[in-house]
Amino acid sequence: MTDTNVKDPARSKEQITTDPSKPAQRMGAGSMTLTLTPWLIGAVLLAILPFVFTSNSALTIMNQMWITVIFALAYNMLLGQGGMLSFGHAVYAGVGGFACMHIMNASDFFASFPLPVLPIFGGLFGMGLALIVGSFSTRSAGTVFAMISLGVGELIAASSVIVVAFFGGEEGISGDRTYAMPFFGNEFLQQIDVYYLISFWVIVSAALMYLWSRTPVGRMANAVRDNPERAEFLGYSARWVRFYSFVASGFFAGIAGGLFAINYEILTEENLNTASSGIILLVTFLGGVGFFFGPIIGAIVFTLVQTVLSLETDLWAFYAGTLFVATVMFFPGGLAGLMMMHVPAFKLGKAGYLVRPYIRTLIPAAIGTLGLCALVEMTFHVRHAATGDTQMTLFWIPFDSHAILPWVIAAAIALIGLGIARATTPALRDAWNEANTAGDRS
Amino acid sequence: MSVPALQLEGLKKSFGKAEIIRGVDLEIGRGERHAVIGPNGAGKSTLFNLITARFAPTEGKVRLHGEDLSGLQPFQINRKGLSRSFQITNIFPRMTVFENVRCALLWAQGYRYSFWNLVNRSRQLTESTDAILDQINLSERRDLPAGTLSYAEQRALEIGITIAGGADVIMLDEPTAGMSHSETDYITELILKVTEGKTLVMVEHDMGVVFNLADRISVLVYGEIIATGKPADVRGDPRVQEAYLGEALETEQ
Repeated sequence: MTDTNVKDPARSKEQITTDPSKPAQRMGAGSMTLTLTPWLIGAVLLAILPFVFTSNSALTIMNQMWITVIFALAYNMLLGQGGMLSFGHAVYAGVGGFACMHIMNASDFFASFPLPVLPIFGGLFGMGLALIVGSFSTRSAGTVFAMISLGVGELIAASSVIVVAFFGGEEGISGDRTYAMPFFGNEFLQQIDVYYLISFWVIVSAALMYLWSRTPVGRMANAVRDNPERAEFLGYSARWVRFYSFVASGFFAGIAGGLFAINYEILTEENLNTASSGIILLVTFLGGVGFFFGPIIGAIVFTLVQTVLSLETDLWAFYAGTLFVATVMFFPGGLAGLMMMHVPAFKLGKAGYLVRPYIRTLIPAAIGTLGLCALVEMTFHVRHAATGDTQMTLFWIPFDSHAILPWVIAAAIALIGLGIARATTPALRDAWNEANTAGDRS
Repeated sequence: MSVPALQLEGLKKSFGKAEIIRGVDLEIGRGERHAVIGPNGAGKSTLFNLITARFAPTEGKVRLHGEDLSGLQPFQINRKGLSRSFQITNIFPRMTVFENVRCALLWAQGYRYSFWNLVNRSRQLTESTDAILDQINLSERRDLPAGTLSYAEQRALEIGITIAGGADVIMLDEPTAGMSHSETDYITELILKVTEGKTLVMVEHDMGVVFNLADRISVLVYGEIIATGKPADVRGDPRVQEAYLGEALETEQ
């Protein structure tokens, strides 16, 4: 790069951006409407979804989904925004949840406030635990932090069978949410009441977490993630920046725990253990750690896989795991990153270039993948079905899993589907490059 | 004479048995532009790291405006008004250019660890960030991720981040390392512009830059300062010529 190249922007600046204070105004005024829109859409969606999906099981799924959304967003305050990989974050949600169960069982105290307030106590307990653990775990990020989080997580999960008074041993702790003070006459007897309680907290928590990312300490969390040393030479202690993120994350995890307590009215060791911590890592990463809304998508997709797919097949965890590995390998930005990849093409007005190539590649790929799944399911059936049971049903087609023909068909579908997808990939790549290139290349 | 901006007293640093800095005494006055030069491996960067507490000294003291800095962390020293850049570009690559500079302003503008202020609601913060961007000629690159800038632009951003907080002692570690001649001229001009009225301490290899910028020069050889003085005096010092400069001047020509 030459001297003139470096200096030119400054000289031409007068001609292009007219008023130096304009960006400031634009940010101040424009962002209000721009940033409010997704929140309003979100709130409206939350409000009307129960009228679209009216069944009780749909409500159950959505309740679980929104709780996972809060938990995943809280987790991403660490992973995505602060660069801290935690393997034991379930304990903050879990302890918040257990605390809420105990409050539910302290009938006099519980009867003195309405139920929607309860998650705040969960948040405070989650935050309290994060204050203690964070005081020593946030000294460094990276492997040390990850190992401490794993150790503390295991420690607390293991103590659930020792400290029976608090964690209730193997049965866990259960309670009854309806003993709270009625909230405008509502005692939260029905699932739908709980749904709106959770929806309220999703919006509030997500908004607060979003705002947090716009505060000085939230911005510095990004800086510390990118380059802790540089942040230190700007007057910020990387350790304290991490600590504040950690405590805030603990608070929102605790809120999620409190909502879990309200929704299920029982907490067990399962809410604390490494498997739960692993799942929230998976959910967050699947959705995409690089964008604020990534964990929301991750929570929705994962909960659907976990609930809807698990009704269809015993192997849902296998597919979820495969999806996760594929995401990590091919789309490190997660589903959100995958979506945001298309923004440049839309901005150039060339997204239409992608439709046909996508159809040509993705539909055969999807069919081929289903063929692969069929092979997996058939193998599973042959190995695990009761002896003599050779009949199975796949995609509404009943057949004999010990016969040759279904295997040949499934393998052929997989091979042909993936083969076509592979053959059309170069065309898709060309279309992609075309769609992401501005104009006629002047 | 008033209290020097920066004062090194018998500063020593050893890594195991290797003595890298072997007793450095130096006083740098307020508003002075001071260059530390020396052959490769003389310990220039180590000296920088000792002053800014990236490393703890084995012996000796660093005083900033007369105040002893022993035992302070880098972020505490920064808050006292000493800011540094790095030899290897050290920015926040995934954040935008604008955010890089804004982060450098947060502490100085008193935001500390607050989570009750929204950064883009503060007109003052945005305006001072844009002013700095204007100063380092990066306004056009405002919203690009810093990692996508050209090398010279990243170096300019590095300097911008270093001066943004308004520190009065600025330390630059080889600001022109790895640059072409024209880029070097550009950065030199930029340094002159942004450090006006401030104390500047820099490590530099390019003799042209050193003689252009520095009021005084210290020559560091094998962890000791063998000469300190005005550029002309240092250039004439036979010991310096023997140890370093003669050779460097020859290669310059």
